[in-house]
Amino acid sequence: MKVKQSKLFSLIMYIIIFLLVLPLIIIIIWSVAKSWPWPSIFPNAIGLRGWKYFFKPTSKSIIILLHSVYLSMIVTIITLIITIPAAKALALYNFKGKKIVELLIIAPLIVSPVAVAMGIHLFFIKLGLSNTFIGVVLVHLVPCIPYSVKILKNVFEITGESMEMQSRVLGASKLQTFKHVTLPIISPGLVSAGSLVFTVSFSQYFLTFLIGGGRVVTFPMVMFPFVQSGDRMMASVYSIVFIFTTLACMYIMEKITKKYYKTEGYFYIN
Amino acid sequence: MKNKYKPYVMLIPVMIVILGIFINGLIMAFIQSLGYFKAIGLTEITFKYYKEVLTSQGFLSSLGFSVYIATISSVIAVVLGVILAYSILRSTHRKGIEEAVYKIPIFVPHIVAALLAYNILAQSGVVPRVLYSIGIIKDQSQFPSLLYDKNGIGIIIAYIWKGIPFVAMVVYTILSNINNKLSQVALNLGANNRQVFFYILLPFIMPSIFSSFIIIFAFSFGAYELPFLLGPTSPKALPVKAYVEYTNSNLANRPYAMVINMILTIVSLILVWLYNKSFELISKYNR
Repeated sequence: MKVKQSKLFSLIMYIIIFLLVLPLIIIIIWSVAKSWPWPSIFPNAIGLRGWKYFFKPTSKSIIILLHSVYLSMIVTIITLIITIPAAKALALYNFKGKKIVELLIIAPLIVSPVAVAMGIHLFFIKLGLSNTFIGVVLVHLVPCIPYSVKILKNVFEITGESMEMQSRVLGASKLQTFKHVTLPIISPGLVSAGSLVFTVSFSQYFLTFLIGGGRVVTFPMVMFPFVQSGDRMMASVYSIVFIFTTLACMYIMEKITKKYYKTEGYFYIN
Repeated sequence: MKNKYKPYVMLIPVMIVILGIFINGLIMAFIQSLGYFKAIGLTEITFKYYKEVLTSQGFLSSLGFSVYIATISSVIAVVLGVILAYSILRSTHRKGIEEAVYKIPIFVPHIVAALLAYNILAQSGVVPRVLYSIGIIKDQSQFPSLLYDKNGIGIIIAYIWKGIPFVAMVVYTILSNINNKLSQVALNLGANNRQVFFYILLPFIMPSIFSSFIIIFAFSFGAYELPFLLGPTSPKALPVKAYVEYTNSNLANRPYAMVINMILTIVSLILVWLYNKSFELISKYNR
């Protein structure tokens, strides 16, 4: 009876996972389809035109991709730097107004980014931040902060402050304690937070498009017209590169952290 | 005593961004929604724009469309997400590659999700091709147009595809941490698996089900990309409508865009409040 039931749940699990993965397999096929007319189930001819276009220097796809990764890396680093102390404060201390601060930090996760972006646009224009790289980085911080604080706060709640206290008592300076005690302890959380923040920033379309004003070109922006016009082959090529880049960056982040701290990344989210 | 200000100092950098960009942006939108837009000489504070927007048929159908899409897609995503999480928990295989694979859609941006929906549901997509080959439809045009239509099927399916793994990940994390002994005791006392699920596991995961519902609901209610790419010309989803008003060459139209933005925000703020409530529930259960 028990075995039979668990087989049933395995079946349900595989069906749902299959339905989630199937669309991704289809874009891999589309990216190499030379001709795929209605009503064939499989392409009639295979070709690499889409991939050739992508790797051709004149399409500038690779440069834009690298530029986009660079932008999101900067966003990730700034987000982590500013959210580590904030998450620690929220996890370990009680203070007046804590509830309100927590709500304010979580709010960008829920409040429509469209409203925020249009509201801040005029202000950014006045400050000369719109259509600039810095302006786009700044506006990307808003949707990234809640994720990072949420994950890191969880980590600090689990690890507490006792190890850092010991290190301080034993005579380590604040900087030494941070570098040799705090960072290694929270490193799995840093990988999780970093991966998620990178993905959030790397996927932004509307914020980049409005605040960047077409001057700051990121990967989703070059991809958008292909999806909009229904150019399946090109859109599929760009999508695959997009997903692959995200996974590769996450993998590299985890590897680097592991190399330094020999720990694994987990998602501390609930 | 010298530590009294420490947490505040630690919060300063984050709060500069939150207050300086996020809150500031919302306040600016609010001021402009009241008709105060100095750059083009509008300086009179008025509720006129609210009145006009709230009574316009176009706005109301957009609001209805956005609520409809967000509700349907989030409810289905939550139900299937919980089923997936529970199935992973109960299935024979553990810690296999499945546990990593199902999370992939979380890292796929919504633009790509739009493409996936297009590939599968368009009249030249995979589903009509399969239906044709097994003889259910005889022509492309017999397949209903699921994209760019008033029912928003394409948008809903794309959001569900993104939502299921998110809900499953959140719920599975909690499920796998619930002490197995509780279920064992109940089973020993004669409860069946269904009772164990509804009376033991479900109460534990309820708060996180609720909070993940709020997050995906809020996202699908307030996002621009998917309804822009897959939605009908009319009614437009609220974020798309706001942007159309915003880019109107007549700058005097700006306040209309900002009123729509404020309504998006008000709905979101209610959701923030509910989200907060769900966390009070969590701490109640953990006591």
